[in-house]
Amino acid sequence: MVQSKKQKYMFLAFCLIPTFIMFAIFTLYPLFSGLYYSFFDWSGSAQNKEFIGIDNYIKLIKDAIIPNTIIHDYFLVVTKVIGIMILAMFFAVALTQLKIKEAPFYRIVFFFPNIMSVVVIGILWTFIYNPSMGLVNSGLEFLGLESLAKPWLGSETWALPSLVLPSIWAGIGLFMLMLMGGIANVSKSYYEAAEIDGATEWQQFWKVTLPLVWPQIKISILYIVITTLNGSFIIVQVMTGGGPNNSTHVMGSYLYQQAFVQYNFGYGATIGVMILILSLITVLILQFFMRRDKVEY
Amino acid sequence: MNKFLKYNVLLLLITLIMLSLMVACSSGNEKGEDGTEKSDDSTAEGGEGEISGELEIQYFVGGYGDSWWKEVIADFQEEYPDVSIVEHAGPNINEEMRSRWVSNDPPDVVYIDGAGSSETQMVEDGQLMNLTEWLQEMELENGDKLADSFIVEPATYDGEIYSLPLVFDTWGTWYDKALFEEKGYEVPTDFDSFMSSMEEIKEGEDIDPLVTSGQHPYYFLRGMLYPAFGAAGGDELLADLIQGKEGAWTQDVVLDTMKKVETMAAEGMFDSGLGALNHTQSQMNFLLHENVFVPVGFWLPNEMANDIPEGFEFGFIPSPMQDAGDPYAVVPDLRPLAIAENAENPEAAKAFVEFAFTRDYAMSFSEHTGAIMNLTGVDLSQSDDVPSYLTEANAMINDPEQVQIYHKPHPMSADLETPIGNALMSLMLGNMTAEEFVEEAEKAAAEYRS
Repeated sequence: MVQSKKQKYMFLAFCLIPTFIMFAIFTLYPLFSGLYYSFFDWSGSAQNKEFIGIDNYIKLIKDAIIPNTIIHDYFLVVTKVIGIMILAMFFAVALTQLKIKEAPFYRIVFFFPNIMSVVVIGILWTFIYNPSMGLVNSGLEFLGLESLAKPWLGSETWALPSLVLPSIWAGIGLFMLMLMGGIANVSKSYYEAAEIDGATEWQQFWKVTLPLVWPQIKISILYIVITTLNGSFIIVQVMTGGGPNNSTHVMGSYLYQQAFVQYNFGYGATIGVMILILSLITVLILQFFMRRDKVEY
Repeated sequence: MNKFLKYNVLLLLITLIMLSLMVACSSGNEKGEDGTEKSDDSTAEGGEGEISGELEIQYFVGGYGDSWWKEVIADFQEEYPDVSIVEHAGPNINEEMRSRWVSNDPPDVVYIDGAGSSETQMVEDGQLMNLTEWLQEMELENGDKLADSFIVEPATYDGEIYSLPLVFDTWGTWYDKALFEEKGYEVPTDFDSFMSSMEEIKEGEDIDPLVTSGQHPYYFLRGMLYPAFGAAGGDELLADLIQGKEGAWTQDVVLDTMKKVETMAAEGMFDSGLGALNHTQSQMNFLLHENVFVPVGFWLPNEMANDIPEGFEFGFIPSPMQDAGDPYAVVPDLRPLAIAENAENPEAAKAFVEFAFTRDYAMSFSEHTGAIMNLTGVDLSQSDDVPSYLTEANAMINDPEQVQIYHKPHPMSADLETPIGNALMSLMLGNMTAEEFVEEAEKAAAEYRS
């Protein structure tokens, strides 16, 4: 049966309109209302608000804490991308190529943190870092390295680096599975051919595996970047609340503090606009740098 | 025929409209009659029957628990059976009710306490009813004027009163009396003895003696520094600092106080991990003897009731930050009860507020919560249910020889308190000097003023 043009459009409308309405309500509307509120002096806890033009944006530029929050965010982005990708790739290759008998078990174990709430992960690691009864300091003492023990989350220097470990730990599983999927799709014959040509395992990884799973790597990196820029505030909020002395504030947690603790909702919305713009620019730059022709052998 | 029909339809319509109007009016009347009837009943019991309708009460449940509220609300319900009370309560109630306040549909009565609430902000946003005139009419159960019976006067904003201080809390320094008695440690009486006591404990117990919540540096500000500023410069200095007056934070008297904090940090008196501790963790550390001093309010024993180790005995002193020879200083911290400007049932709201402010409820408040309600003339020693630390602290606070009370004009705005707290954190961790701190604080005050 041939579909009439009308039927085709009806079907398209049936698929698209509900999605678009949802998108408009839950994405476009908050986006534009955020932009709208960024031009107001509004406490966020009452109805009266005053239009102040771009004053919030001027304040944003002058705010000495903002550059630090951006640096902290990108510090987390870079360390998370490097940490997660190296470890996820290592585990993915190990579980697919090394023919380990317990591979399914490890797959579940590594994926486990992904089904836990970030809040739970944050609380769990707060205990691990606890200066007196935490696992980290006790472990260091056990190894005779007491001199390295420190109040990890309570130190202005060490608090931010300490947040990297739980973030990586929580992220590995998902990307490991994605990379495993990619590796599983690489035909065995390439490895056999490489082996016949005398390629070492290391060379096989660099010349065969890596180029062929590049699309998965690219998506993983983009995903880590976006989720870190938009979501790292949860772990910060739970583990340090942005302290000590703003040393762990990321853009999101600073937004929360301004909007809901200091009652500057309008300014908080302005920070939200900044996060949006920075995320967009970052993703565009990444897309540009990670452009690669699809490799096929 | 047609004309007749039209006439009939018109008549029917008019009758219908009349009927609906009558129903509308009569239902109102019915309510009125109902109310009056019941008012007769309750007048006989001594209540005021015209109070009816729905009354929404928002109260934060934190360290003081909610048992006192339950008792007062149940009694109020009994007194005013026509009122249907809706309670909005819990530890996150301020966040949960925020959308109601934003959409101008607030509850009638609000108890302002806990995270996410700010009396100053609510007044600035015009959300609270002006109670200045009404307060003059209010009386306690024995006829005393309420306005003359507060321990601490209500906060004023340009001379107007928007809230009535219900809870009189005082931040001070807690210690374990049993431990001090057992080991013979000295209970500090001024800053010098505080330092020597902490040194002795640091050696004796091999711990950092003082803990506070690093995630909320304002605990130290309110618990230790406000009394220190009060003792050093009185109400005037406190007001200047809280309002961020130009040059207030860089005065010598402030620098001297901050030097004391710098010394404490340099001597290792602060818990080295306090930077990451939240409210509960810092209090837990104190109970576990990881530290021996914690500056918090009267909520501590009640809030941590389930975690108190055996043999632990709460001792309370006003934070000993004053110079030798001066009396201790306390700066009361008040938790007020207020009525929303847009309350839907202001009459019932007023009735409830008036109902709650009695000396009987003040006594029961101390029994339930281990804290003090802001009313004079309540003899806590009369009740066996009031914890001993509270009667002792109360007696101490009321003895001007021992303790001088200083007042802040209103709570510090979060816009000033947050940056000052952050710099304070750095000072306590030893990453900032007192000179740098006062500069930072002055900068924050300048920004706040602008």
